[in-house]
Amino acid sequence: MKLLEVKSLTKQFGGLRAVSAFDLSIEEGEIFGLIGPNGAGKSTLFNCVAGVYPPSGGDVLFSGKSISGQKPWNLCKRGLARTFQIVKPFASRSVLYNVMVGSFATTGKSAAAERKAREVLAFLHLDKKTEILAGNLTIADRKRLEIARALATEPRLLLLDEVMAGLRPTEVDEMVAIIRTIRKNGITVFVIEHIMRAIMALSDRIAVIHFGQKIAEGTPAEVASDKNVIKAYLGEEYAVS
Amino acid sequence: MTRERIQIFFLIAAAGGALGLPLVITSPTYLHILILLFFYAYLTTSWNLVGGFAGVLPLGHSTFVGIGAYTSTILSLQYGISPWIGMIIGGVLAAIAGVVIGMPTFKMRGAYFALATIAFAEGFRVMVENIDYLGPFFLNGPRGLQIPPLNVGLANFMFTGKSPYYYIILVMLAAVLILTYAISRSKLGYQLVAGGEEPEAAAALGINVARAKLIAMAMSSFLTALAGTFYARFTLFIHPKSAMSLDLSFEIAFIALIGGRGSIAGPVLGALLLRPVGDFSRIYFGDKLPGLHLIIFGVVLILVMIYQPRGLQEPLTRAYHRLLDRLSGKIEK
Repeated sequence: MKLLEVKSLTKQFGGLRAVSAFDLSIEEGEIFGLIGPNGAGKSTLFNCVAGVYPPSGGDVLFSGKSISGQKPWNLCKRGLARTFQIVKPFASRSVLYNVMVGSFATTGKSAAAERKAREVLAFLHLDKKTEILAGNLTIADRKRLEIARALATEPRLLLLDEVMAGLRPTEVDEMVAIIRTIRKNGITVFVIEHIMRAIMALSDRIAVIHFGQKIAEGTPAEVASDKNVIKAYLGEEYAVS
Repeated sequence: MTRERIQIFFLIAAAGGALGLPLVITSPTYLHILILLFFYAYLTTSWNLVGGFAGVLPLGHSTFVGIGAYTSTILSLQYGISPWIGMIIGGVLAAIAGVVIGMPTFKMRGAYFALATIAFAEGFRVMVENIDYLGPFFLNGPRGLQIPPLNVGLANFMFTGKSPYYYIILVMLAAVLILTYAISRSKLGYQLVAGGEEPEAAAALGINVARAKLIAMAMSSFLTALAGTFYARFTLFIHPKSAMSLDLSFEIAFIALIGGRGSIAGPVLGALLLRPVGDFSRIYFGDKLPGLHLIIFGVVLILVMIYQPRGLQEPLTRAYHRLLDRLSGKIEK
């Protein structure tokens, strides 16, 4: 079943067409990757799906229903959660508090929200840091906190915007393992990433965006050997390896 | 003894102390100072729901004090309606006004929001100052309204001595503190804090930030207006420059900033420090060096802002927890 469908989505900022007639469909249970050079329109596409920007044209369907133009908080309640490329923790509050904000999306009771938050924190190996202020976390932990908050809202689709940027190689491996487990738990994952090693290993399918347009789509192996992709993004060395 | 027990013990001691104070302090002057201290602590705690938790800086809360004071006073003077009922009606009107003011202003950020609330408050005060009759209601413009001290008694919210007022404002303060505590641990509290700190992230986590802020604003303005009725019954004279002046709005914000915005103890701590500083410097220096109390007030404000920008609440909470640790540790051994 198609969980997310993007149909000829266009987003225009004044004279700049950041995303143009973009088509995409993500199956339930899939890990779908989106790659492309800086400024290609990845985050804009993400923000259109997540309700931050209303699309200028086209449609976005979430489990068969149009969600185009809906507000982020309503999308969250329908089961669409996201992280931010530039992490946005509630810095003056504890890690537990941050995640509880997320778990309050599905419950009104503090005790239930706390239980859910602790579960999610344990899953992300943050359970020893629950009382630390979010502003004092390392970048790796902040990225995890972003995921923890999003998971606490009990999403069906998780949009991950460069959650591995700035991580050390061992931390990237841990994150790959975490994302795999998230999918194993039944959550569909849509991920933007620049770290090729990670996204190639993770994704079932990958789409490549360049100047707002899709230039390739397929399995990691297909995409990696695509001439257009190599020219626009990967570079010659990647094709050889 | 566990930490919880010690805390409960402290709480009971504080409550007992507060209840017993009027028995010890017989001077009406000092009792008056205490009543106003609690009055400001109450106002600031109500303000804190928006100004603290929701992370914006409203500087026009005197509007709601004024709405509360005028509503109950007009209803009792002209229609003989009990001030207790007028108090609630005033609260409801203020809540509506709060939402009306909040809807356009919550879209603004930082200083723009603060300025917009000042503009609303000043506009409202100037209007009241220039209106004698609002439909059938007699406002008496800048001269204000006097409440004749006729029917003394609880039903009429009017007393000869000061201690009944003391107990009323004490109960009001305790109630609003308990309410604030409950909200801070509830879904709404989390939504407000999240929306105040990172609105985009909050929205992505399912929070309608504007809606949460409006709910907080409605509650805050309702509670603030209740204090307006208290003020009217306590002073028996209200006029636009007293009940809805910018000074009042600013003092609430100062107390919150000094005590610590967004914490539960902050407004009380701020009032405990600032009110006596203002009052006693006025009493002791007012006749010798007029204006000195304002300078002292200003100096205290500046010092706290420089050395404790997040308010006195922070170091004091730390000290309090250390004290709790020590006490519970020692007694357990």
